[in-house]
Amino acid sequence: MSKKIWLFGFVLFSIISCQIKEASLPVLGRTTLDENGKEVPHEVPSFSFTNQYGETVTNADLDGKIYVTDFFFTSCPTICPVMKSQMLRVYEHFMENESLAILSHTIDPYHDSVTVLADYAAALGVTGRQWQFVTGNQDEIYEIAEKSYMVPAAEDTLTAMETGGFVHSGAFILVDRERHIRGIYDGTEEKQVNQLIKDIELLLKEED
Amino acid sequence: MKNITIYCCLLFAAMACTDSEEMEYEIYLVNGESLYKQNCANCHGEKGEGLRNLYPPLKDNEHLKNTEHVICIIKNGASGEVSVNGQVYDQAMPANPKLFNLDIAQLATYLNKEFLESDVKVETSEVLKALNNCK
Repeated sequence: MSKKIWLFGFVLFSIISCQIKEASLPVLGRTTLDENGKEVPHEVPSFSFTNQYGETVTNADLDGKIYVTDFFFTSCPTICPVMKSQMLRVYEHFMENESLAILSHTIDPYHDSVTVLADYAAALGVTGRQWQFVTGNQDEIYEIAEKSYMVPAAEDTLTAMETGGFVHSGAFILVDRERHIRGIYDGTEEKQVNQLIKDIELLLKEED
Repeated sequence: MKNITIYCCLLFAAMACTDSEEMEYEIYLVNGESLYKQNCANCHGEKGEGLRNLYPPLKDNEHLKNTEHVICIIKNGASGEVSVNGQVYDQAMPANPKLFNLDIAQLATYLNKEFLESDVKVETSEVLKALNNCK
């Protein structure tokens, strides 16, 4: 009898622990130690860019919001259109939800001026400020991509003809209200974007 | 007996002839589809649906009827405004200098079949001629 109870208890425990595991997203990135030896998780640093309306966007504007971010350029002939059609799914799914923002950085700021970004956003049917397309200092954009969001971004001079002149990742990065990275998804894969949408819902609940 | 042999020979030749032509057309379609997925589908969509008001659809796109124009913009790209079914699009299309004339012929044949429901096969010679007359 007691054996059965043990077994039952064990199974119940495994089920519960599985569910707990499923119900929270990991915090990604390298943790560092502060002066007291306490672990500090990887955090997206302060930033300042310019959006499609010519307004300055900083991390403070995203305070209290979860956001999804990516890197692209408007004249990109390869993966960007696929990324943008997938990001539209995220945008349309959370359209009414002010707790979710989307931040798309151009990695070709010399070409992608505020006007170019405004036209691009309008052509995609994006209005308002939930989804912001930002430009800024090229080095700062590349640095935040690689060091903060952990995705590659660079100019490409070797195979410029095929890539359109830039190397970048097709990743969508999910950032929580504490500026911690909670997930990285392939923005060119429908299934991964489905997962992203589920994870955003989870994160919205977690932080309510 | 001799007649039968000749008849058989003729029949075989006739069959082989239609078969090889049809087979070549099929090859054009298969290769055309693969080229479409590699070079076009990112912007114009897997099913030619386009992307909102950014990239024009190819499905029911009147411009596709002008095969010479299609050949030229596949090879050389295009820029400036273009109007499709009353909607204006203004995103540059990149050139594809790496595509061979045969690739373009296969691609254009696929576009005819898929988006215009036309069985017209585009020959490599037509591609060459069109490319010499691009504006």
